[in-house]
Amino acid sequence: MNSHAPILELESVTRVHGAGARAVRALGPVSLTVAPGELVAIMGPSGAGKSTLLALAGALDEPSEGRVRVAGVDLATQSRAQLAALRRRAVGYVFQDLNLLPGLTAAENVALPLELDGLGLARAREEAAAALERVRLGTLAQRFPDELSGGEQQRVAIARAFVGPRKLLLADEPTGALDSVSGEMCMRLLRAQCDAGRSAVLVTHDATHAAWADRVLYLRDGRFVDAGPDASSPAVLRAGRSA
Amino acid sequence: MSVRNSLLAILAAQPTHGYGLKARFEQSTSGAWPLNIGQVYTTLARLERDGLVEPEPVHDEGPRQTWRITDEGRRQLGEWFASPVADDPPPRDELAIKVLLAVAADRHDVTAILDRQRAATVERLQDLTRQKMRADPERELPWLLLLDALILKANAELEWLALCEARLSQRGAP
Ligand SMILES: Nc1ncnc2c1ncn2[C@@H]1O[C@H](COP(=O)(O)OP(=O)(O)O)[C@@H](O)[C@H]1O
Ligand SMILES: [Mg+2]
Repeated sequence: MNSHAPILELESVTRVHGAGARAVRALGPVSLTVAPGELVAIMGPSGAGKSTLLALAGALDEPSEGRVRVAGVDLATQSRAQLAALRRRAVGYVFQDLNLLPGLTAAENVALPLELDGLGLARAREEAAAALERVRLGTLAQRFPDELSGGEQQRVAIARAFVGPRKLLLADEPTGALDSVSGEMCMRLLRAQCDAGRSAVLVTHDATHAAWADRVLYLRDGRFVDAGPDASSPAVLRAGRSA
Repeated sequence: MSVRNSLLAILAAQPTHGYGLKARFEQSTSGAWPLNIGQVYTTLARLERDGLVEPEPVHDEGPRQTWRITDEGRRQLGEWFASPVADDPPPRDELAIKVLLAVAADRHDVTAILDRQRAATVERLQDLTRQKMRADPERELPWLLLLDALILKANAELEWLALCEARLSQRGAP
C-alpha cells in the first residue's frame, strides 16, 4: 500500500443489533475515508452511533453490511488471529478511562502492545521511549499512572496508540475530564502527530477539541448529517487542511 | 464596548493624539474592533466636555493636538476597571432570536436551521483554532487571549445548539 492510500475506509457500513421486529440499527449506512495525516473529529448526540463506528473501525465489532478496510486490509477477509494482530500493530484505541495498567510504568504501558506482538523487550522499550518523547513525556517515562496528572495520562495513552508501527488512533471521548489547558495540550500533541503523517478519529463532545481536526463530522441517528450549502460533499463541514 | 473608557485607559498611560489613540487601541486589542477616527474625535470632545480629558498646551512643533487624562478621568477609569462587566439585559443575540422565532412559529425546518448554524460555527471555531496554533504565546499574548475568548464564545453557541436539538427531539419535533 502506498503512503497516500487511505488508512481507514468505511464503505456503506451498517451495524444492526438483534433481528426481526426487535432489530436496532445502531449505525448506517455510512461511508468514511481517512487519509494518512488526517485528524477527523466526530460529534453528535448521545446514541447517534459514534462508539459503534469507532468499534467497527478498530476491528472490535463487525458490520452487518458494508466493508471496513484498515491500512488497505479488508477486515472481512481476516481470521480472528489476524484481526488481533492488526489491532496490536495498526490501531491504537483510546477509551474514556484510558485503560492504563496501574501496575506498569508509563514506559511499560506504552511498550505493552509491542511486547504482546512478540517484539523483543529491548526494541519494545526503545519504541516506547521514542513514542513518549513525541508527546514530550520522556522525563516521566518511569512514573506509574497514579503519579501522573490527568493530562499526562492522556498523553501516555496517545503515545501508546501511536507506538511502533501503529498509524491510526481511535479515541472515544478521551478528553472529557480535562481542564482546558491540559485538553489543549493533548490536542496540540495529537495534531502534531497527525501532521507527522499518522491519522486519528476522535469522538468528542467538546467542540473546542474537535476544532483541531481537519474535518468535523456530525452523526445523528446513525447517519452523517449534511449541513453544508452544497450537498455534494455530505457531512463534510470543513474539508482538507487548507489553512 | 466602551470607547470612552478605552480611550481613558490609553491616556492614563501617556498623553496621546487622536490617531495615536486609534492605533494604540487597535494594537492592544489585536485589531479585533477597528475604531474609526471620527468616533475617536467625537468621544474625545465628550470626554473634554465632562472634564475627564484636557488638551495639552500647544507646542508649535506639530499640528496635532495631544490629549491627557484629568484626575477625575483617572477616578472614573479606576471605577470602570474595578466593576465587573454586567450583561443585564443581555445584548441582542440574532441567533437566539432566529431560533426562538422559528420554534414559536413551529417551522418545519428548525432542525435544518440548527444544522446549518452548527456547520458555520464549527467552521469558525476551526478557523480560530488554526490561528491559535500559529500564535506565539510569548510575543502575542493579547492575541492569544482574544482567540481564547472568541473560541469559548463559539463553543457556548455550539453547546446551546446541541441543547436546542436535544430538547426539540424530546418534544418529538422533526
Ligand atoms: N449491543 C447493543 N444492543 C442493542 N443496541 C445497541 C447495542 N450497542 C449499541 N446499541 C444502540 O445503538 C445506538 C448507538 O449507540 P452508540 O454507538 O453507543 O452511540 P454513541 O456512542 O453515539 O452515544 C444506541 O441507540 C444504542 O442504544
Ligand atoms: Mg459513545
